Amino acid sequence: MSLQIDALNKSFQAHRVLEDIELEVGTSEFVCLLGPSGCGKTTLLRIIAGLLAADSGSIRLGGRNLATLPARERGFGIVFQSYSLFPHLTVAQNVGYGLAIRRTPKAEIERRVGQLLATVKLDGFEARYPAQLSGGQQQRVAMARALAVNPALLLLDEPLSALDARVRHDLRTELTDVQRQLGIPTLMVTHDQAEAMSMADRIVCMNKGRIEQVGSPHQLYLQPRTRFVANFMGQSNLLSLAQLQLLWPDLLAQAPAGMDTATAAVCLRPEKLRVTPDAAGAARVINSCFLGSIQHLTIDHTGQPLLAEVDSSMHFQPGQAVQVEVLAQDCAWLQS
Amino acid sequence: MNAQGAPMSALSPHLPLAAADRWLLRACLGLPLVAMLFFFGMPMLSIVWRSLLQDEGGFGLGNYLALMDAPGVWRAMRNSLGLGAAVTVLTVLLGFVLAYGLERTCMRGKRWVAVSLALPMLAPSLVLGLGLIFLLGRNGLVGKLLGTQLNVYGFTGLLLADILYALPQAVLIIRAALRHGDARQYDAAEVLGATRWRQFVDITLPHAGYGLISAAFVVFTITITDFGNAVVIGGDFSVLATEIYNQVNGQMKFGLGSVVGILLLAPAALSIWIEHVATKRQSRLSGEASQPPLPQPHTASDFGFTLACGALAASMVAVIVTVVAVSFIRLWPYKLEFTLKHYDITLSDGYRPLWTSVEVSLLAALFGALMLFMLAFGVRKLPGRLANLAKLLSALPVGVPGLVLGLAYVFTFNTASLPWGVLYGTPVLLALCNFYHFHTQGYVTMMTGMRNVPTQLEDAITVLGGGTVRVLMDVYLPALRTTLLSVMVFIFMQSMVTLSAVIFLVTPAMSVGAVSVMRLDEAGFTSQAAAFSTCIMALVGGLSLLLHGLRGRARPIPV
Repeated sequence: MSLQIDALNKSFQAHRVLEDIELEVGTSEFVCLLGPSGCGKTTLLRIIAGLLAADSGSIRLGGRNLATLPARERGFGIVFQSYSLFPHLTVAQNVGYGLAIRRTPKAEIERRVGQLLATVKLDGFEARYPAQLSGGQQQRVAMARALAVNPALLLLDEPLSALDARVRHDLRTELTDVQRQLGIPTLMVTHDQAEAMSMADRIVCMNKGRIEQVGSPHQLYLQPRTRFVANFMGQSNLLSLAQLQLLWPDLLAQAPAGMDTATAAVCLRPEKLRVTPDAAGAARVINSCFLGSIQHLTIDHTGQPLLAEVDSSMHFQPGQAVQVEVLAQDCAWLQS
Repeated sequence: MNAQGAPMSALSPHLPLAAADRWLLRACLGLPLVAMLFFFGMPMLSIVWRSLLQDEGGFGLGNYLALMDAPGVWRAMRNSLGLGAAVTVLTVLLGFVLAYGLERTCMRGKRWVAVSLALPMLAPSLVLGLGLIFLLGRNGLVGKLLGTQLNVYGFTGLLLADILYALPQAVLIIRAALRHGDARQYDAAEVLGATRWRQFVDITLPHAGYGLISAAFVVFTITITDFGNAVVIGGDFSVLATEIYNQVNGQMKFGLGSVVGILLLAPAALSIWIEHVATKRQSRLSGEASQPPLPQPHTASDFGFTLACGALAASMVAVIVTVVAVSFIRLWPYKLEFTLKHYDITLSDGYRPLWTSVEVSLLAALFGALMLFMLAFGVRKLPGRLANLAKLLSALPVGVPGLVLGLAYVFTFNTASLPWGVLYGTPVLLALCNFYHFHTQGYVTMMTGMRNVPTQLEDAITVLGGGTVRVLMDVYLPALRTTLLSVMVFIFMQSMVTLSAVIFLVTPAMSVGAVSVMRLDEAGFTSQAAAFSTCIMALVGGLSLLLHGLRGRARPIPV
């Protein structure tokens, strides 16, 4: 089943938090809602879950309109940042909670709980209480609880943000593995672009209540369409067309037709800049920052500061003259 | 994101909900609200109405004018104001010493002082008066030891009894104010070279200022509205509380009684307003990361505080222990033999009022906890105009002295013509009166407890397919279990010992324990009054210990 959202709007008092949202989550697709805090992504998730009412617009699941369907009858699964387990119930009772609500026979619940705990690698933890588990373990229990009811849609609200870095990393892979294995359409909210890129099939990048761009992680990184997406998806050199004209006039000729020269820009990722020592080069190295296998160079190119990422085996001195080149295929053209 | 103002847990009106869930939510807000309007709003309106209804017929300000030529009421008012002022000054002073000793010094025996200060909560206020009489009265222990006849009845006795009665509450308020300090301000002052005295004057006093003012108003209010001590130890010194009782119960002057009742609302209302301002200021004064100051040992002043606080705590204990002791002694203070004969109560209804008290208090605690739980849940889930009305109404009862509420209940429910008159003279009405008397404190406790409710867990249940019943049972009830028990213990204890509201509502056929103590004392059976008080204290102490024990065990998560 796929989720389809059309022309969705939501305001709190006079403040518009969601504007004209159009979105589709395909069968067994993993979609990330990515954006800074306050961009409306959690509000959108809560509306989809049925915990909040939209002002206008439609939400359909497999062609069925969800507008009048109470949250409890939607049959979704949800996982929150704060784990949100029942402190007074055991792990097994927590995981089986949704099934107990559905009056599933005891033996069946037991079987299903065991199976799910194996899926999230927590076999043998049935009798423990949440307070006896680590953060990562609690979040796995929360995952199992959400999956237990065979949800038509899995909603994840910053599920990894409360965990420490190493656990977060491990759980990323585990989460995507489980999702692929079960093939449940999934929508995850996050503000961490690395998390979104490593997990999602498709990323929905949001800003100030609007969707800026939708696409695969590659598309968003390599072909951002707006300055916001270019900035949010990683480090970049953003040049106006006038600045580009000054540095690399021949690249400007490659710009797609119909761009508004006043607002358009080009996005050059730091690793796409080719820096070579050249005494006759027009650019100067300001300083270099060693980061292990790579290094970041701050470069001044005829008055324009640039950030370049190069292999750390090359040596650059501050003040050294260099040549900086860019291939036309590495340019991402931004409309605004 | 919740930055947009609407609380996470609040439901928007357009949200699709199962019909049963919607009705349950409405009931949670609606039922307590209707009950509150009926059992608090209506009585309060009727006392205003009654004050405008002239005794000789017609409608107008006649009762207010009649007050001018009621010399008895004027004398009682002068006496009450004078007594109130004296009690307030002394209690706040002593209360500050106790609070400062407990919070800011390394004095010894803090636990004992705190426990002694909690003792009066177990007993009706008049037990303090009773104890003072046994110690300082005409046939008191002190007089016998000194070989003279002391006279404690009247102003002096009432002053002492009211100080003891008000002291625990004053200490509670002032301690809370002292707890708000910031250690770093003292560190800064110390480094700048300020002496301890300067630090006290420049930092401690300004911080505690509002606490002191708030304590003063509370003490003043409970002094001029306390009924029990005035009856027991007041002697010929007439005060407002007893005067109203005589006007209403003795001479059936309802109009005059209601006017005085309305006048009594003023100081209480003022004290609540001051407290409101104080809490606002206090939260502005103390920054988010302020650290409470840790008391440093100072041999001399710690010794002084140990002595002073110890003496105050000891007098409190002495007064109450004396009452217990007297109840077991054949003829106090002359024949000091052990006996149980005073426990054979000669009043016609014997111990029945005690069991009525328990029944009323349990009913008030259970009904109250249920109503407050529903109300807090309803207010949280369905914000809007109705919720705001409920919040406003919930904040009002604390400003209504028990005496006034009792009067209001008489005016409203002592009626044969209206259907709710059937409640008059039943334990149910007493329970309702006691619950609404202490409604605000219970509501505040409940709302504070609501902060511990995990909202996301609530959402998780909804998405998993659970309805409002599930949310209540699996999120709110576990999260609020200790809060609910606290609220029940509070209402139960208060309801067991309160006298000022119920004194207007008891009938010869249906009375409560605190009233029996008063009647026994009036009839001259003081030892039996002591015995009955001891029974009340034992019951309240025992049951609240039991409930506290339950609260301690209410943590199901093994660690």
